[in-house]
Amino acid sequence: MSTTPTKSPKKAPRAHASHGTSPRFELPGGAVGFVESSTVVPLVSFALSLRSGALGDPEGKDGLSRLTARMMRRGCKGMTSSEIESAVDRLGGEIGFDVGPSTISLHGQVIRRNLQPFCELIAKVLGTPTFDQEELDRLKRETVAELIDARDNDRALAGLAFRRALFAGHPYSRSASGRAGSVEKLTRDDVLATYKKRFVQSDIVIGFAGAITEDEAKTLGALLVRSVPEGPKVENILPEPTRPAGRRLFFVDKPERTQTQILIGTLGTHARDADHWPLVAATAVFGGTFTSRMMREIRSKRGWSYGTSARLSIERKRHAFTMGAFPAAADCAPCVTLELKLLEDFVTSGITPRELAFIKNYMIRSHAFEIDTAPKRLGQALEAELLDLPADYHTAYLEHVRAVTLESANASVRERLTPGDLVVIVVGTASEILDKVIAAIPGLTEHKVLPFDAD
Amino acid sequence: MSQKIAALTARVNEKAAESAAKWTFEGSVPFVDLSAGAFLGEQAHGDVPHVHRFRLGNGLRLLVLVDRSAPVMSYFTWFRVGSRHEKPGKTGLAHLFEHLMFNESEGVKAGEFDRKLEENGAESNAATWLDWTYYYESLPKDRFALAVKLESNRMAKLVLRDPQIVSEKEVVANERRMRVDDDVEGIANEVLYKTAFTKHPYHWPTIGWMVDIENFTPDDCVAFYKTYYAPNNATIVIAGDVREQDVLERIRDAYGAIPASTIPEEDTAPEPPQLETRKVILKKPTASEKILLGFHGPALGDADHAALSLLSEVLFGGRASRMYRELVTTREVCTDVRGWVSTFRDPGLYEMYFTARAGTTGADVLARVDAELVKVKEEVVTEEELERAKARLELGLVQSLETASGKAEQIGFYDTVLGDPAAAFRRLEAYRRVTSGEMRTAARRYLTLDARTIIHVLPETAAATGQAAE
Repeated sequence: MSTTPTKSPKKAPRAHASHGTSPRFELPGGAVGFVESSTVVPLVSFALSLRSGALGDPEGKDGLSRLTARMMRRGCKGMTSSEIESAVDRLGGEIGFDVGPSTISLHGQVIRRNLQPFCELIAKVLGTPTFDQEELDRLKRETVAELIDARDNDRALAGLAFRRALFAGHPYSRSASGRAGSVEKLTRDDVLATYKKRFVQSDIVIGFAGAITEDEAKTLGALLVRSVPEGPKVENILPEPTRPAGRRLFFVDKPERTQTQILIGTLGTHARDADHWPLVAATAVFGGTFTSRMMREIRSKRGWSYGTSARLSIERKRHAFTMGAFPAAADCAPCVTLELKLLEDFVTSGITPRELAFIKNYMIRSHAFEIDTAPKRLGQALEAELLDLPADYHTAYLEHVRAVTLESANASVRERLTPGDLVVIVVGTASEILDKVIAAIPGLTEHKVLPFDAD
Repeated sequence: MSQKIAALTARVNEKAAESAAKWTFEGSVPFVDLSAGAFLGEQAHGDVPHVHRFRLGNGLRLLVLVDRSAPVMSYFTWFRVGSRHEKPGKTGLAHLFEHLMFNESEGVKAGEFDRKLEENGAESNAATWLDWTYYYESLPKDRFALAVKLESNRMAKLVLRDPQIVSEKEVVANERRMRVDDDVEGIANEVLYKTAFTKHPYHWPTIGWMVDIENFTPDDCVAFYKTYYAPNNATIVIAGDVREQDVLERIRDAYGAIPASTIPEEDTAPEPPQLETRKVILKKPTASEKILLGFHGPALGDADHAALSLLSEVLFGGRASRMYRELVTTREVCTDVRGWVSTFRDPGLYEMYFTARAGTTGADVLARVDAELVKVKEEVVTEEELERAKARLELGLVQSLETASGKAEQIGFYDTVLGDPAAAFRRLEAYRRVTSGEMRTAARRYLTLDARTIIHVLPETAAATGQAAE
């Protein structure tokens, strides 16, 4: 049972905030570390990341990076999976693995008094995984079952379909979780090879935040880095994604949907583009706050969707501009039409001086909440390092925002967003609304119906 | 500390105009884990943080925690009204009202509330549950006055017009579709409470029945507002980089003239003991069977709550827990297992949730679950399990206190439900005292296998037995 908030969780503009630089230090084997000290709570957060992620999975072996990462906690020298989990809990800690397109990360938190034994445990987990065959088989079965359960989540289904459609043919179209068919085929040799190649000192970025000093961070960082072997950096070669052509609808067909999920989008910008910050600001005007254009038109005036937003994602290459809403089935077609109209107006007319002044105030004044805790500050430092963002991406945030002009914002919208070239995803019941949705998209060049349980 | 704040309160009252409302200082409470000797914020430098408690002449309560760890502050307004105060036929009114509070008030046009806050870098939201409703703003510290102005205005001068109510009802209906009607777990949870509670208002969901949401009138909303949105039914909680004197003066000036209302005495029927198993079968478009169990449990303030919470950690807390290990790892019959002892003012439920793997039946899962439940009723848990459970709960508390808003929420929640703003730490102390024997006693008291509620979700394609509820 849970509470019911007025607003859906805010999708803030993707870019965040600025602050002083987190201390960065060299670690053995070419690894680097960061630390953000704070005595607010007796807690230490840490993240150990590798500079390559799911994009490095070989063709046909989707899900390999994630499976390898998850196997790390399934047994190490002298400890079974169960003993590892018990030890983490007993120390007042928690750990988790995240695998994104470009990174594999082990993150965790621990009560300050147990920091040293906790790091020793993590070093053992990282450095001596057993990759037991029985555990691997078990994890593969578990992963496949989770993939099937994930079909209950309509928003996740929409996101998956969106990535596959927008980045068709590009590695960004892949899911880090893999598909049931690909996961079932993965072998222990695949996992061992991935560990050997990816878990090397030179590719490690470690961060600590909270009740820890810089000296402690250096000592414990070195302990963790030395737990894995030396080795060459992983080469990450990634082509530039191409902008979609025409308006294409991908309808994910699922029975009995009284509510639908809509995602509309195209490519956005790269953090190194000269017009990145202008587009960040303009996107925030369009759909980045509770009083944005999308919110006003879709939720406040019409009551069609509990939440609606637009956002820009950043990655190592140009990533997505996305608009989202989740109206009732009866409102889906008119909502798609309205979103397309809003986007056309956005591109044609741009934003107003008043809107720009408003959003700059918002972005500048709310920046305190992007850096009000040590883990948040650390997160920014790690993101910049791992995604090869410009060095001042977060640290000069205020200057970046202040430099946005009306001309640069509107030019970036015209340059980057083309209302005629869009991917439209709808999760709903095709027999009830597909025809209406097709009719709601002027200039539709193609549509496909995808069964929700196709994978 | 208390003497200093008492003197400050006296000075603020002395300097005020004669007609102004006066503050009463009601004492300070250490906001820290004293029993462990751990530190929080300024305590590292020898200055223990305290929550200062005040009451204004019109009954408005104020709790202040000064925290200078970041140049921000959080401003929560807790109203002691939730869905338990509704009546059949008017369910969901407390939650709809939460939405309406973001609309127009005198001098603040529709949409202006959020626009002003966002323009000043603030984040705001609200939440409603069974026992309470809160609203909050997190602001840069120099924007404190804006929160006071906007919040005091909507407490006294909300404008309730038909077009906005119509539009907001549609938003709430969409929220219900998202959280309940199209969400397998959401609908199953709703049916669990609907079935387990027959008399007590925990029977209906906070978001309300769809038919009630559609039928609300402006008169319903005005009546609710006049009854429950008054200073003597509210507590303001402020945590962050503020000065106590500034807080006292501004809050008094903004709220002092708002009249108190007559809050009706609550007329809540206690839930009669459940003496039998109640079972409901739902058929839904889902890939796997799900089992929800509800055992009637203790209220948050009951002595057993800590023991049962620890037992729940042993059973469901993390991958080393008994249920995870048995059902997910060893037997491979589930993909997800969760348990939660409700934190309500009145006795709630100990909820358990299991997602079966495709090919495994709910009956198989239930048999294994029951075997584990019988075990904790017969044998005490190990010392190692107890130690792990305590460490996990301590970690959870510390994690919730990293931000100003996290602190304000904890203070407001425990003050509203238990009357003690620092009860989070009292609970931590209680956890440390719990023994494995007390946990077994709690298990025997509450885990009654023949008097519980079972919701069994079947994939629509599966051949179902029994009567479907929907």
